[in-house]
This record gives sequence, structure tokens and C-alpha cells, in this order.
Amino acid sequence: MGVSTRQIQKLNTRKRIIETAYKVFSERGFSVPSSIIAKEAGISHGSIFAHFPTVNELLVSLLSDFGDKMGTSLHVLAKKCDSVDSLLKEHLKVLEEYEAFYSRLISEKNKLPDEAKNTFAIIQSTVAYHFNSVIEREIEKGRVKKLPIHMLLNAWLGLVHYYLLNKDFFSDSNESVIKRYGAELLSTYLKLIKNESEVYE
Amino acid sequence: MKTCIACGMPMEDITDFAANDPGKDYCVHCSRPDGEMQSFEEKKENLTSFIVRTQGFDESVARKIAEDMMRKLPAWKKYFDEPVDTHS
Repeated sequence: MGVSTRQIQKLNTRKRIIETAYKVFSERGFSVPSSIIAKEAGISHGSIFAHFPTVNELLVSLLSDFGDKMGTSLHVLAKKCDSVDSLLKEHLKVLEEYEAFYSRLISEKNKLPDEAKNTFAIIQSTVAYHFNSVIEREIEKGRVKKLPIHMLLNAWLGLVHYYLLNKDFFSDSNESVIKRYGAELLSTYLKLIKNESEVYE
Repeated sequence: MKTCIACGMPMEDITDFAANDPGKDYCVHCSRPDGEMQSFEEKKENLTSFIVRTQGFDESVARKIAEDMMRKLPAWKKYFDEPVDTHS
């Protein structure tokens, strides 16, 4: 089946809008008007509406793309992990890669339409899936304290999100918070959740 | 790479497939002990309780998220595509 030049052009423009929106939202937040995205992408304002009739549609599409990308990265990396240490290290790696956009997402999530909000929950479910499969084994082996899975996961996310949300306090430039504090966050969290014999071995 | 039609999980190894059968379109987590695929209601309940257990969300919120996950997947699309256009 042949794809016409027109269709290719259409797909390319759509891709360019999504990529530009990703960059602009990462830098300036989700309330940036679509005219700015059009300007940055070098296309007419009307062209955005041809692809995404409402800003919400652009947001939902962008977040769903982002969710798929982040989900796949996590899945590929997490599959090889057999300990909570290595899994969370990979989680940090993925977060660092998407840090600017992810930070916007957690700080502005409540202002987003429901469908976009749920995309965030779906991303976290991918994290939860891998976390669960690793942590259950660790608890069984007596390496990690017997605490409810959701509390173990939420304690980790709470810690990481606190640093991401307060980036302005924790770093004084554009450097990545995960890059600067990731190792410390991870080692502290592991000490908190592991049984003493594991920590001081 | 194949992804599970019922939960979207990428299936790489043979053990990811239902009944270790790479010919299947759904994964080990979406099959019943006899190898058949779970029903829509079964899957929805399983996903909901998984979200509650691993993320601690309120049950009704978790059910809504489970539905949103399923809405996008080929196996369950028809359950959400209610005939809207009744005039054609």
C-alpha cells in the first residue's frame, strides 16, 4: 500500500507539533497557548487546529505518546533487574531522561483534563508492575521489610517527587536534580526499607 | 515485538506468552489457568485490585484507571465503542 507524499507531510507536521509541544511544555508549563507552539514549530496557528482541534486533544495525544515512550523504556530496562537496587537505579535513569517534562507533569497534573491525568496513573502502573514483581521476591527472601507494597512504592515516589517538585531549593542552576541527588536518594531509601542484617552486612 | 492485546505488555520471552505459546496474542498475566484469555470483567477486576494493592489508590479511582487502560487495547475496544452514530 503506497503512502502519498501528502500523507507523509501530514504525519511529519503532526510529529513536529508533538515534539515542539513536548519541548515548550517542559520549559514553560502546560498553560502555554497553542500559538506559541505553532510559532516555535514554524507552522501556522491554523495548522495546529487541523491536527488537534482542541488544546486538550493535543495534550492527551502528547501525554499518551510520552506514556508509551516512558513505559517502553522502563519495561526494557526493568526486565533485566532482579533486585530492588538495580530496578530503582533504572527508574532514576528513565526519570533523568524525561526529567523536565515529568516534573511539569507531577506539578501541574491537577490542572490537566481527566484523560491526561489518567495517562500519568498508567505510567505509574508500569512502574508499580515492575516494582511489585521485584519487591515481592525481596520480601520473601527477607531482604526487604515486610511492609505493604503500595507503601514501599509510594515512599519511594514521595521522596523522588519531593526533590523534583522543589528543584529550585535543591539546585541553583539547570542541572538535573536526579543526576545530583539520585544516588543519595537511592541509598537512603534502600537503607530504610531493608532489614538490618542486609544493610550492615 | 508483539504486545499483549489485553494489557499492552511487550512480550519478548516465550514465558511472557499465555501457556508459553508465542502464537498467542495475549500474555501470561491475561490468561486463565487453562490458557484461555480472561473475560472483560475478570481483567477489569484484576487490574483494579492490582492498582489498589501496588499503588494504594481508592478502589473506585483504580477501577476508572483500569477502564482507561483497557479502552486503548485491541482486545477490549469493542466494549467501549458503543454505537454512537445511530442515524447512519
